Amino acid sequence: MVKHYRPPGKKKEGNAAKFVTRSQALKHLQISLPLFRKLCILKGVTPREPKKKFKGTHQTYYHVKDIAFLHHEPLVEIHRAIRVHEKKIKKAEAKKNLERAKRLRERTPKPKIDRIIRQRYPRFVDALGELDDCLTMVHLFAALPASQSKKIDVECVHTCRRLAHEWQAFISRTHKLRKTFVSVKGIYYQADVEGQTITWLTPHSLQQVVTDDIDITTMLNFLQLYEPLLGFVNFRLYHSINLKYPPKTDPRLEAIAADVLYIKIFFPNHADLYALLKSDHVAGSGQVETNQKEAESGVEKSELRLAQLQHQLPSNEQPGALMHLVEEVTGEDEEDQDTRECKRLFKNMKFFLSREVHRESFLFVIPAFGGTVSWEGEGAPFGESDQSISHQIVDRESQGHRFLSREYVQPQWVYDCVNARIILPTENYLVGRTPPPHLSPFINYDEEGAYVPDYAKTIKHLQAAARKEVLPLPGFGKEDLEDPQNLLIGGLIDRAEANEAAQKKQKMKILEQQYHDDLKKELKGDTHTSADSKETSTGAELNGESTRNVQENIDDSSDMGKLMLSRKKRKLLEAMQISNARKQGKTDLLRQRKKKIDEAKS
Amino acid sequence: MTGKKKATKQNNHEDPSEKFPSPTASDSDSDSDYQDSSTDDDDSSFSPDSQSESEPENGSPENDVSGDSEAGASKDEVHDEDGGNESSDLHQGGAESDSSEDEVAPRNTVGDVPLKWYDDEPHIGYDIKGKKIKKKEKQDKLDSFLANVDDSKSWRKVYDEYNDEVVELTKDEIKLIGRLIKNRAPHADFDPYPDYVDWFKWEDAKHPLSNAPEPKRRFIPSKWEDKRVVQLVRAIRKGLIPFNKPKEEDGPYLLWGDDSGSTEKANHLAYIPAPKRRLPGNDESYNPPLEYIPTQEEINSYQLMYEEDRPKFIPKRFTSMRSIPAYENAMKDCFERCLDLYLCPRVRKKRLNIDPESLKPKLPSRKELKPYPITCYIEYKGHEDAVTSISIEASGQWMASGSSDGTVRIWEVETGRCLRQWEVGEAVSCIAWNPLPDIHILAVSVGQDVLLLNTCLGDEEEQKRIKDLLWVDPSTASDDSGNKAPSVSWLKDDKHEGLRLRHFKTVTTVEWHRKGDYFSTVMPADILFECYKYMIHGPYRKQTVKLVVDYIFVSCFVIGLNGTRGIKCYTRTGFSLTSSLRESRAVLIHQLSKKLTQKLPFKLHGLAVRSTFHPSRSIFFVCTKKSVRVYDLLKTKVIKKLDTGLREASSIAVHPGGDNLIVGSKEGKMCWFDMDLSSKPYKILKCHPKDINNVVFHRSYPLFASCSDDCTAYVFHGMVYSDLNQNPLIVPLEILRGHTSSNGRGILDCKFHPRQPWLFTAGADKLIKLYCH
Repeated sequence: MVKHYRPPGKKKEGNAAKFVTRSQALKHLQISLPLFRKLCILKGVTPREPKKKFKGTHQTYYHVKDIAFLHHEPLVEIHRAIRVHEKKIKKAEAKKNLERAKRLRERTPKPKIDRIIRQRYPRFVDALGELDDCLTMVHLFAALPASQSKKIDVECVHTCRRLAHEWQAFISRTHKLRKTFVSVKGIYYQADVEGQTITWLTPHSLQQVVTDDIDITTMLNFLQLYEPLLGFVNFRLYHSINLKYPPKTDPRLEAIAADVLYIKIFFPNHADLYALLKSDHVAGSGQVETNQKEAESGVEKSELRLAQLQHQLPSNEQPGALMHLVEEVTGEDEEDQDTRECKRLFKNMKFFLSREVHRESFLFVIPAFGGTVSWEGEGAPFGESDQSISHQIVDRESQGHRFLSREYVQPQWVYDCVNARIILPTENYLVGRTPPPHLSPFINYDEEGAYVPDYAKTIKHLQAAARKEVLPLPGFGKEDLEDPQNLLIGGLIDRAEANEAAQKKQKMKILEQQYHDDLKKELKGDTHTSADSKETSTGAELNGESTRNVQENIDDSSDMGKLMLSRKKRKLLEAMQISNARKQGKTDLLRQRKKKIDEAKS
Repeated sequence: MTGKKKATKQNNHEDPSEKFPSPTASDSDSDSDYQDSSTDDDDSSFSPDSQSESEPENGSPENDVSGDSEAGASKDEVHDEDGGNESSDLHQGGAESDSSEDEVAPRNTVGDVPLKWYDDEPHIGYDIKGKKIKKKEKQDKLDSFLANVDDSKSWRKVYDEYNDEVVELTKDEIKLIGRLIKNRAPHADFDPYPDYVDWFKWEDAKHPLSNAPEPKRRFIPSKWEDKRVVQLVRAIRKGLIPFNKPKEEDGPYLLWGDDSGSTEKANHLAYIPAPKRRLPGNDESYNPPLEYIPTQEEINSYQLMYEEDRPKFIPKRFTSMRSIPAYENAMKDCFERCLDLYLCPRVRKKRLNIDPESLKPKLPSRKELKPYPITCYIEYKGHEDAVTSISIEASGQWMASGSSDGTVRIWEVETGRCLRQWEVGEAVSCIAWNPLPDIHILAVSVGQDVLLLNTCLGDEEEQKRIKDLLWVDPSTASDDSGNKAPSVSWLKDDKHEGLRLRHFKTVTTVEWHRKGDYFSTVMPADILFECYKYMIHGPYRKQTVKLVVDYIFVSCFVIGLNGTRGIKCYTRTGFSLTSSLRESRAVLIHQLSKKLTQKLPFKLHGLAVRSTFHPSRSIFFVCTKKSVRVYDLLKTKVIKKLDTGLREASSIAVHPGGDNLIVGSKEGKMCWFDMDLSSKPYKILKCHPKDINNVVFHRSYPLFASCSDDCTAYVFHGMVYSDLNQNPLIVPLEILRGHTSSNGRGILDCKFHPRQPWLFTAGADKLIKLYCH
């Protein structure tokens, strides 16, 4: 039988049966290309790579099952209904029947995404795992200017902003934020929610420009999925900490756009306090200040309680409070070591943001690490003249009036502290100085051959020093030795130290070995030279380039193993070597530049 | 009376076709002027002097307008003279009687009856006193026509059938008719849209228009409405009235309420989550360390790179956070990510995150496998051209070398001293010591000859034996080969005090049997070369070129090459290339003691390249370009065919054990055959980038080596275990360098020292090197 001949009635086989091209799919689904794209985006259907591209390499292939999956999708029907409806609206408008048009427009069927979200992310963890793109996009759209021509309507921007702030509020209040990085592209945040590491990028708080070279409809399609997704995720997260969603917002703070803070999240044990606050909730900046202060004091109080409980000294609080305490403790136990560490970083520190500092990021980051923050302007919890402020964040050339009780630091200090998880010394970050380089927290310097910038080394030293300091902290007395937490920390430190020592040892060993090798090589070279001298006397000559020989020998030895490999493995090895060489080249370039800079300095 | 008249008028008005002027009589009663005139008309029509004669033509009162007018016109002129005063009277009446129509009495009192009732009567009706009104006499048509023509006013005359008279219409009446025809108000002065004047005075009114009290129903709910509402409510409750109002946007809810049900497996394809974005490194920082910022020259050099090689992102440094500008590509980055997410096929690829070194097989350390040649120990200089072949004497004390400068030299191995030298005239292609330690005979292949040289080593007894061996009886030599023409002639070489075996083709290799009596020579059937050589140097140069070749294309090429004409192909028994190819005359085995030459009694498939003897058994290996054939010489049959899979084999070596052999090829590959295992290579080593010229096994150490045109020689550890279940262990040990390339050739030959783990290499750079451990 000829290979390509297929008798009538016989089904297709192989790739031709499993895959269809895009145009075939369109024909089968009887929808237009834009709708198909939209469906693909919403349903998460991606093209496939068949082993044999039976219709040519320039085609896009989809799996037959995927297309069937789309075919049964109710969204297709809804979109058909929408199309019919739009025709009706158009007709009504053409007949100047504006009322009908309006009524029809109100009744346009809306596709519902929740089922799709559930389908795509059957578990909550799945949704969290793929939240990166969602968050990045929502944050980007929150910073976009609404424009009629680009089809970005105001409502969409507002929703995005609201969702983003809700998310940030959750992260901030539950101290889930782990890393921040100010890059040229924006500010990266990394949070750890339910074991999932979520990284997202927020653009700098400047107006973004929507250029023409992008297809905004595609992005809006994605947004159509991401908006409800983030909504559901937020709901679930708020639900998990026993809060009502959508959270209550403080209208005054919202009006002055004090971003994250306007979303009030009250932990259950604070709820009564806030209810009380709300009862005498009269507009007035002074009052607000006091309110906030009270709130802060409430927070501090709860912290204090916690500390008391840790010392196992049942407080003199009323029984209701004890109940809260119990709740709190259970909550605390659920938190992992990391969260506790993060929560404590800026504890008992008060920050004040100067007028020129971008507020949004700090209102998110500082509370996330346990600090209190205020700013210049309306609705601020406390003013600049507050004596208890420990740090003022200033982003200008020089600071005119200074309070002696506080330190004036540049914004980068906060981020570096957060990344290093210690309070860094402020002298490098003082106003008017060029701050030290801002390093990415996402790089793993432990990797072999990685380039470690100087400042990373200093930070590491500081971290080590800080850990040693932690040990004799007053909070943990001698009697606290049985405190498991304390022990844990101690153990950690011990382990870290041990690790360091081991590393040092290893390094020493390596160095030693190297030395020995050198010695050996030298010896070898000597033997060669001696052989040379012998041979010259007999008349025959020998190679004098012993050093080169040695070099070659080393190369040879590396080459030797390669000979015995199969071809597949050899190619793999070569590819790996190339990529390693490329990496090495990059770090070498950095080292070279560093050397040059150092030379220029000295 | 009045009512009747009114009825008449009404009738007239209703049926305008009945009488032409009848419309004049119509219209509203209230308006005076016109009404008056019409009554006048009526008055006049009731004039007593109207004739009562009936007219046969106007039988029916419902005559159509045209006929009527015609008839009227005809009657007009008849009664012209008679009705003159009446018409004036009528006008008078019209003028004087203004307001009341009731006063004017109609002349004909017959009432509103069809006039055809009077068709047969001489009268037309009765006047007010009851007297008959006579019909007028009928005029004949001609007269009436003439009168009509004469009378200029005839067009405004109308015949009144009822009163039987002709009426002349006044100017006003004509106008009035015209206006009626135009559907306007008949009277010219009539204003259809008068200003409304509210005659009632509302102010100062003491009493309301209606003083009735508000009815109760205005204050109680409507019973019917109530019923209707109940009806609707019931319908809604029953669901008869659907509310398709758009629902309020329902916000998020607890979508992932319980994750317990999540274990259900989706029935579609496996979902591959999109890879996460690469996390930013230090270079993306707003304030990176200084070394991350490229210099201006580097930035400029990016322009010279290919676009895809160019770095996507160039680090920049800002001294403070307030100076960071908006990132211009934020939208674009996001968009590209979107495109990646929905347009890129997702495939799970395993990423090997392993140390590349771990891919390499675990080999025993090289130190454990010592000794093996490592470094160059001695160089032997003296040859004027590339050293093509070397051979070590069995004791390991002497080394012979042949070069393409036409000399054969013997060296003392340990000192590098050149002991002896022969000038053989032609380039030496191969050289081989007799493997027996007491017979110091050297076989040298020079062009078409194989020389057997006495090296004059050893004591006198040995020398004598050698001389005996090398003595040939010139008379018997040619007869030995029996009935066929000798392929090889054993001759005495006086110059070098040895034997000369003249072959018919260039001999490339000479190989001794382990017992030192037999040796084989290989003449690779390089047809082109041979033909060419034959024609140039052959004994039949003056004759017509007679060639018998298997391949026609070869002969054609020969023609082209030499420009000879008229090639005739003969099958000559005496000299035929065909036979040499078919009967494997490419490989010959010579016996030194008997001065005998044997052909290989097998057919060779392919071109012979090398041949070698089995180290212990009577087995003979012939290496052709593609395969190796193993022959049993005693049984004279093929034992095995080894498929190398190489493009062009160049050398072969047999392991001293005899079960393993290696084949080197011109593409730089080396195949290790385990003959017990398979006819396929056990291992293929791709070590050289260029042609392998020779491969050798060490006789006692588990070593083997290959030398190649890339000026390197590889030394391997090749351990063969006596246990058949254990595969041979091959470990690459050393790469020996030192030779330089000349004319694209590197190391031409390599040989191991028979006892020591030393390797001799002969290079195209006129040098021989000894590598020691």
